Amino acid sequence: MPKHIVRLIVLLVASGAVALIAKWYFTVESFYEYGHYRAGSVPEIAAQEPVYKTARYCQSCHSERHAQWSANNHKSVTCETCHGAAQGHPEKGKLPIPADTVKLCTLCHEAMAGRPGTQPQIALAQHSGGQQCKVCHNPHAPKIAAAVIKVTGDVAAGRQRAAACASCHGPEGISPNDTWPNLAGQSAAYLARILAAYKSGDQKDVMMTPLAQALSDGDVRNLAAYYASLTCRTIPSTARIGDAAAGKALAKNCAACHGATGTAGNPGWPHLAGQKAGYLVNVLKAFRGGLRKDPMMAAVVRGLSDADIDNLAAYYAVQSCRP
Amino acid sequence: MKREAINSLLARRTFLRKIGRAATCAGAIVAAGALGVTKTVAAKGESSSSGGSFPTKDYDWTKHQWAFGVDATKCIGCLRCVEACKRENDVPGDAHHFRTWVERYVYLEGDKRARIDSHHDPVNIEASGSEREFRFANRYQGAKVEKAFFVPKLCNQCTHPACVQVCPTGATYRTQDGVVLIDHKYCIGCQYCVQACPYGARFYRPKERVTDKCTWCYHRITKGLEPACVEVCPVGARIFGDRNDPQSPISLFIRNNRVQVLRPETGNAPNVFYVGIDKEVS
Amino acid sequence: METFIDLAPYTGYVYPNETVIPWTVLIVVYPYLTGLVAGAFTVSSLYHAFGMQRFQPAARLALLTALCFMIFVPMPLLLHLGHPERAFNTMLTPHWTSAIAVFGFFAGFYVILLMLEIWFMFRPYIVRQAQLTSGLAGRLWHVASLGSYDLSPKAMRYDEKWIFALAVIGIPAAHGLHGYVGFLFGSLKSREWWSSDLMPVVFLFSAVISGVALLIVLYVLSCKVRKIAIDLECLKGLAYVLWGFAMFTLVLEGLEFANIVYKGREGVEMIVEYVTGPLLVPFFILQFSIGALIPLAVLSYMIWRGTTGKALIVGVTVSALLVLFQVWMMRWNVVIGGQEIAKTGKGLLSYQLVLLHREGLLTAVSVAVAPLLLLWAAVRVLPPWQTTATFSPSPDASAT
Repeated sequence: MPKHIVRLIVLLVASGAVALIAKWYFTVESFYEYGHYRAGSVPEIAAQEPVYKTARYCQSCHSERHAQWSANNHKSVTCETCHGAAQGHPEKGKLPIPADTVKLCTLCHEAMAGRPGTQPQIALAQHSGGQQCKVCHNPHAPKIAAAVIKVTGDVAAGRQRAAACASCHGPEGISPNDTWPNLAGQSAAYLARILAAYKSGDQKDVMMTPLAQALSDGDVRNLAAYYASLTCRTIPSTARIGDAAAGKALAKNCAACHGATGTAGNPGWPHLAGQKAGYLVNVLKAFRGGLRKDPMMAAVVRGLSDADIDNLAAYYAVQSCRP
Repeated sequence: MKREAINSLLARRTFLRKIGRAATCAGAIVAAGALGVTKTVAAKGESSSSGGSFPTKDYDWTKHQWAFGVDATKCIGCLRCVEACKRENDVPGDAHHFRTWVERYVYLEGDKRARIDSHHDPVNIEASGSEREFRFANRYQGAKVEKAFFVPKLCNQCTHPACVQVCPTGATYRTQDGVVLIDHKYCIGCQYCVQACPYGARFYRPKERVTDKCTWCYHRITKGLEPACVEVCPVGARIFGDRNDPQSPISLFIRNNRVQVLRPETGNAPNVFYVGIDKEVS
Repeated sequence: METFIDLAPYTGYVYPNETVIPWTVLIVVYPYLTGLVAGAFTVSSLYHAFGMQRFQPAARLALLTALCFMIFVPMPLLLHLGHPERAFNTMLTPHWTSAIAVFGFFAGFYVILLMLEIWFMFRPYIVRQAQLTSGLAGRLWHVASLGSYDLSPKAMRYDEKWIFALAVIGIPAAHGLHGYVGFLFGSLKSREWWSSDLMPVVFLFSAVISGVALLIVLYVLSCKVRKIAIDLECLKGLAYVLWGFAMFTLVLEGLEFANIVYKGREGVEMIVEYVTGPLLVPFFILQFSIGALIPLAVLSYMIWRGTTGKALIVGVTVSALLVLFQVWMMRWNVVIGGQEIAKTGKGLLSYQLVLLHREGLLTAVSVAVAPLLLLWAAVRVLPPWQTTATFSPSPDASAT
């Protein structure tokens, strides 16, 4: 064979050998071990540190909060969903407590097409008028516990017992003055609850406490049933104490519990429509001052001024109590 | 006659020379090849002699077969899963790279086709305030909605993955416990796998210049945790578990429901099982 | 927030990850270059393997063209890769189920094949240069000759055998080199616009016509520059090849499109909407009407009327330029077009071509033009032009 062909073949074979040696030399360790990939990458990936640490991790320090959370409706929402991932906590400092709860909570709870009916959803404007969610709801125990119980009582027995109440609350449950509340048509569950509270001492009122303590549990139920059966009436008050239009704007924040016009959707909470303005003013001030105890009402009225209270009372007082 | 003898001698010598050269060449090739083989075999021997479980000493991948379930009847489209995934896996923080995402399907009155949107839609980006936060805009508020639902999507970790088939280097692969992973140190960033995935699950990381996708949080599931998206889902729309365990959430999910997968006609055999999706979801 | 140059505006619904288009204009340039290589090599093989004498004037130029373009073929890929420094991973641990994995081997093998064939072809010239020049250049020529100045008839017979063998092996090699690109696209299940059994064949035939067209242009240009007469027989031969393959290409592309529309699978509405909308001009007007029908009409007319002389030269050159344009548009419409149709089958994206960027228009044009500059340098080092001094008789030729 001619020299140049020989040399060419040698050159080609040598290049081939060099290529094979290079392949052997440069192929990374652990390739082909378990398949066509670098086996070493699997433990590398598995070794990455998790960023989200799960609620169990939070429990080790925040046991009380964890206990409250896990006993309530939001136990399906892990801590880190709202507070951010726990990686680096507590070494690198505190985790944020969400300030804008409207922005956060509406992510899940804004009424939106596509959300299944089982998801509690609200139309924001109607529900709270843009108020921060945590004013009423504890994020760790969000369901507002109202004693929604069906009250069964004997209306006739209640009527008999109610004779003693008529001097203040009126013979037909419509109060003769502005200070004492109408009871006619009020929610039975609410009446039962508040009477029981006066009776047990959970609520204190200089007038109501001794009267309630004289009642038996059966009396409480009967009275509640009786007053609930009465027809309510809205009597416009002559005294001008507030601006109903301004009150309407404020009442948006109350609508979730008390209804847009004061007719509560949930029987655990009282109807306000057509209630005496003076009574409402006193009660709101009592909530604000802590004389009347209700953590939710206290939170809601904390920011109300006297003028606001007057306006709210004026608004509800003129609302029609018949739906 | 002498010439013939000389010629035949010459011929013999030439022949022998040829044979000699051929043998040398062949020998060189065989030697090089043998070296390559021994190196590979040695590598195999080293690791299997280390014994114990793989990939970590506390986790043996031969004992698990992971699978994922999505209950689209439960999803509320809150997008906490998307946010958690981004945080857990350091996914580029914008509206164009997702390891997992949620789609919304809405039929208004009279619609024959669904109106579909997801996080990259400018309307939704505006609703959330920035590309880094995720929220569905309440855009159908005033409209007459006939049917609507949310569908979470993620990598289906197929049994016959098209992405693994087309990777030229072997940078992406399927583990023995059923997860398709990417070796970020070996990937050359050609993005053939991004093209091959029929589900749009893969994307390119512009900073690291390699491809990436959902790994079912492999670094979490090998430690007994759940993937981050499953962890934070508040309504249980995402289900995860080990099919080797007949009582695991996923085994029960598959057993107790009529499940389906996305794009079965591709033959990829996906391992994310859906309940409650519709004709338009693909 | 970083801006991504491939961030694509869209209509309808697309998957969130689709809004960044993965394969850019560089991936249009790449099959274009390999296509030119395959086509140019086909012309040279018509002479060296099939012994068609009429192509001799262009045969050597064809090989040099093929090599110059082949050298630049990896460029668009390396510029596109996220980690070009790891590019050899595809050759160290090739995943044989992947079409891209064969690229390194096809390309490497083919470059060597081209270099060998050119070396054999130019060996008399190399030997002469080694004998005539001195100094550094002389030493380089000496190394190039592998230290052997043997130009005896026996040695030349060996050379001829090698050239023939290389030309024959080179045909499937070239077609494999380019055909696999078609397979790369055609084998994917994820994109209806790409997924087709015909794709490798379509790519191959359009590659051949692009290479032939390039050669026509280069041959005519080189003759004009060197102020010598254009061999009309050669030109006519090239025109015939162009005409025949262009017809077949048109039929194949038409078949492929018709298949998609006729089968009417899920997602076809979006394809039809796309082709009759954003792709109407690039596809039906630029690629088909201007790029395919006009050159076919011109060539058909000239062949029918037996045109010759200046009219033939002008007609064939214009047709060749239009075919080059057609094949570029075909690559663009396939690569970019395929990605503009979303995988959801419910949306369309719009690729944003940027001028100044690693994967922008300027880079693409530079990569596409650079081989021509290399060719210009190459013909100075290894002149492919016919002279008795440079070449010895070819196997079955009468005289040079």
